[in-house]
Amino acid sequence: MDKYLKFIQYRFIGYVVTVVLFIVFITGTVMNGGFNWGIDFVGGIKIIAKFDQSVTAPKIREVLRAGNINADVQKYGGDEVNEYVISTRLPERAAYANVYEGAQERAAEMAAAATGSTLAVTNTGAERIQALLKNNFTNVQIVGIDEVGPAIGDYLKKSAIYLFFWCVALMMVYLAFRFEFRFSVGALAAIVHDVALTFLFCGMFSIEINIPIIAGILTIFGYSVNDTIVVYDRIRENLTNMAKQSFMEIINRSVTQTLSRTILTTITSLIAVFCLYMIGEDVINDFALILLFGFSVGVFSTIFVASPLVYEWNRIKGK
Amino acid sequence: MNRGMIYKTIFIVFLIAFAVVLILPTVGEREMNIILKEDVSSEQIAALNSRFPSDNYQIGRSADSFLVKGYGLNDAVMNEIRTFPGVKDVKFVQHWAERKPISAKRINLGLDLQGGMQLVLMPNFASIERRLGRKLTNEEKTGSAQQALELLRGRIDQFGVSEPSLRKRESGAIEIQLPGVRDPEGVKRLIGTTGRVEYRIVNEAYTKAAEEWFKDKPDYKEKGLPTGKKELFELSKKISEDITLPDNLEIMFFYSRVKNTKRIVPTTPMVLEKKLSLAGDDIKKAYRGFDDYGRLAVHFATTTEGAAKFAEATSKKNHGKRLAISIDSKVRSAPSMNVQISTGNAIIQGDFTQEEVDTLISIIKEGALPVDLEKIEERSVGPSMGVGSINSGIKALTAALIAVMIFMVIYYKLSGIISALGLVLNLVFMVSILSWLNFTLTLPGIAGFVLTIGFAVDANVIIYERIKEELANGKSVRLAVSSGFDRAFWTIFDANVTTLIAAFILSQFGTGPIKGFAVTLSIGVITSMFVALYITKFIFELITMKKDIQKLSI
Repeated sequence: MDKYLKFIQYRFIGYVVTVVLFIVFITGTVMNGGFNWGIDFVGGIKIIAKFDQSVTAPKIREVLRAGNINADVQKYGGDEVNEYVISTRLPERAAYANVYEGAQERAAEMAAAATGSTLAVTNTGAERIQALLKNNFTNVQIVGIDEVGPAIGDYLKKSAIYLFFWCVALMMVYLAFRFEFRFSVGALAAIVHDVALTFLFCGMFSIEINIPIIAGILTIFGYSVNDTIVVYDRIRENLTNMAKQSFMEIINRSVTQTLSRTILTTITSLIAVFCLYMIGEDVINDFALILLFGFSVGVFSTIFVASPLVYEWNRIKGK
Repeated sequence: MNRGMIYKTIFIVFLIAFAVVLILPTVGEREMNIILKEDVSSEQIAALNSRFPSDNYQIGRSADSFLVKGYGLNDAVMNEIRTFPGVKDVKFVQHWAERKPISAKRINLGLDLQGGMQLVLMPNFASIERRLGRKLTNEEKTGSAQQALELLRGRIDQFGVSEPSLRKRESGAIEIQLPGVRDPEGVKRLIGTTGRVEYRIVNEAYTKAAEEWFKDKPDYKEKGLPTGKKELFELSKKISEDITLPDNLEIMFFYSRVKNTKRIVPTTPMVLEKKLSLAGDDIKKAYRGFDDYGRLAVHFATTTEGAAKFAEATSKKNHGKRLAISIDSKVRSAPSMNVQISTGNAIIQGDFTQEEVDTLISIIKEGALPVDLEKIEERSVGPSMGVGSINSGIKALTAALIAVMIFMVIYYKLSGIISALGLVLNLVFMVSILSWLNFTLTLPGIAGFVLTIGFAVDANVIIYERIKEELANGKSVRLAVSSGFDRAFWTIFDANVTTLIAAFILSQFGTGPIKGFAVTLSIGVITSMFVALYITKFIFELITMKKDIQKLSI
């Protein structure tokens, strides 16, 4: 019971690791050309289609290019089925949209004038891609379509930002209410650390940021606080029981006492997420991957960011 | 065991039994009753037989129906079977737990899991404004969005998709979800085709003849008119032949609303002139007012062009006749004309209730204010992809469950077995609560389940680690267990509340699948707290009942 690890004394190692991690990840993201926002946020089209065995990605690209669509074509799923993901982002879509949608709108208005229409659905690019595929290949099966307009993307981006704001605010209020303000600061730092690193992880490894990724990041958010709170809870308890000891010792003891729990819970969570990663497909795969990363840095930040910062805050205020 | 503990045991056993019953409709087999047409052929039956191979399904047959029992029967399958030739209707047979007094509900599958399509349409006000040459007021905008919604509802009902969902989003967009649709293009054609509002003069003599035609056909009186487009067309063809209808006239049907529903059904035939008197966009506006007798009436004004057409239609020769207003070739109203109107301002009189007047106004407006809808989002998932997602979701769930259980048992031995048991109970409670909420499970929702398995043992870990500490401090087993649980309570509480805050905020995020993830996660957090702090605690109380217990396997 009297043995404990000297986390606070060695906190600078933790700080250095954090700074190095951030530098590496930021460089990686910048070199990658920034974040890879998915169609949920920038708008665009994603079509998954099944073709005859003889069809290859270059052939599909060629057909689409002949139709003035510059799409990204990638193999999808296992080798036993010949499926491809065909995706375009809004900037590419905009290139032909003016010509195409303008013509279509005129056609729709003419049709409306002729029939006294009350309802006309304006079609966007997905139909055109499908038509091109169906005209040029036999036996095309459309497995799935995702098409998101620009209006939705903006709306989602805005609500994602609000979300983070509210999440942080409510969390801070709760922590300040249940603990003390100095604990809020440490927890906030740990959250920012985990969330920012996970975002940069997406940037560095070109993971497409779609809605499920945002859900994953918020889960990491909750998880990070959860981890931190268990340690803080122990610090609070020890503060009343071990009033004679120094604050540094109390923190060291608390981190040590809860260390096994922190590691065990992370292990079980990682086991679950790993299963998801191995078996899940496509979207869920990326989601699981960022959780694997986020949970791992979560443990690190609990021990090396959240706890030392409470100490630092105390030291600065104490003077 | 004292009396309190006996009550507790009874309560826990009852709770578990109830939860198990609640999940039966969701996880158990489902039974589908396929009602066949009278003239179903043996090939058509064979097609059904090969759709449901007897290795996976139990098949039953009676004179006019085909019963299928098995796993994986959902709304998408139902909609698929409806399109089979020789099939009249498809219904699900209720599970016994779904009937009274239990009234259990089931977890529905989201579109991403059962296949189907989602369309989000946004009214394009800019194009209406361009056509009208003026800005729309906010009221007009909401009004026209509402009209578009109504119009879409009518069209989708006609398509015969079961469990369609239509709702207006906050942003004013209309979201349509259709499970099990195999032909997204067909749906888009259907809801995208332009609807027409037309004003045509009723031919009273032939209308009477058509009504007479029904007199000696009591069948229709009993069953009502057919609602299918094709059947109605055939019926009108038959009547036309029988009453020798001239070429310039045609038969349509008058539709009225089924009381207290949003459905309209054909009720009586009506013979109209083929020539249009007035088109929908000849009307500028319509509003509620009163007639000379102080009764409620509909006032409307035509465009300048419309005024001339209207003057012609209401000229003396047509007095006493009715003017039928039809939408999408369904006659919805037929007021009679008494005076010639050349100013373009007219009023429709009759013994109207306020509701009827409002309906009529909205009908006229539908024609007057065309709504262009722009597709802003489309997501469609093929059924094979959905089945693949479910299978891999279940695999991931099972793998995670087994792996975490093994880990806990190796690390905590007997106590690990208790937490493994808790994990299974937690899943049962989660599924039963979600079933009871009639929850729609999506792929992210399954991810939420898998994640909960990892999180759920957290409470156990916190408690066990605490008990170990207390034992190391030299406390007796009984004392260590009780203070372990007591001290861990607030830690678990605080830690979980923060997760719940994150999940709550996530559930406010607009889109459906993410909401699903947040809800599963929140319910998982709550049930895992209950299982750890109440049920496993009780099991430990039972184990440590012996006063002289020396060792705890932890």
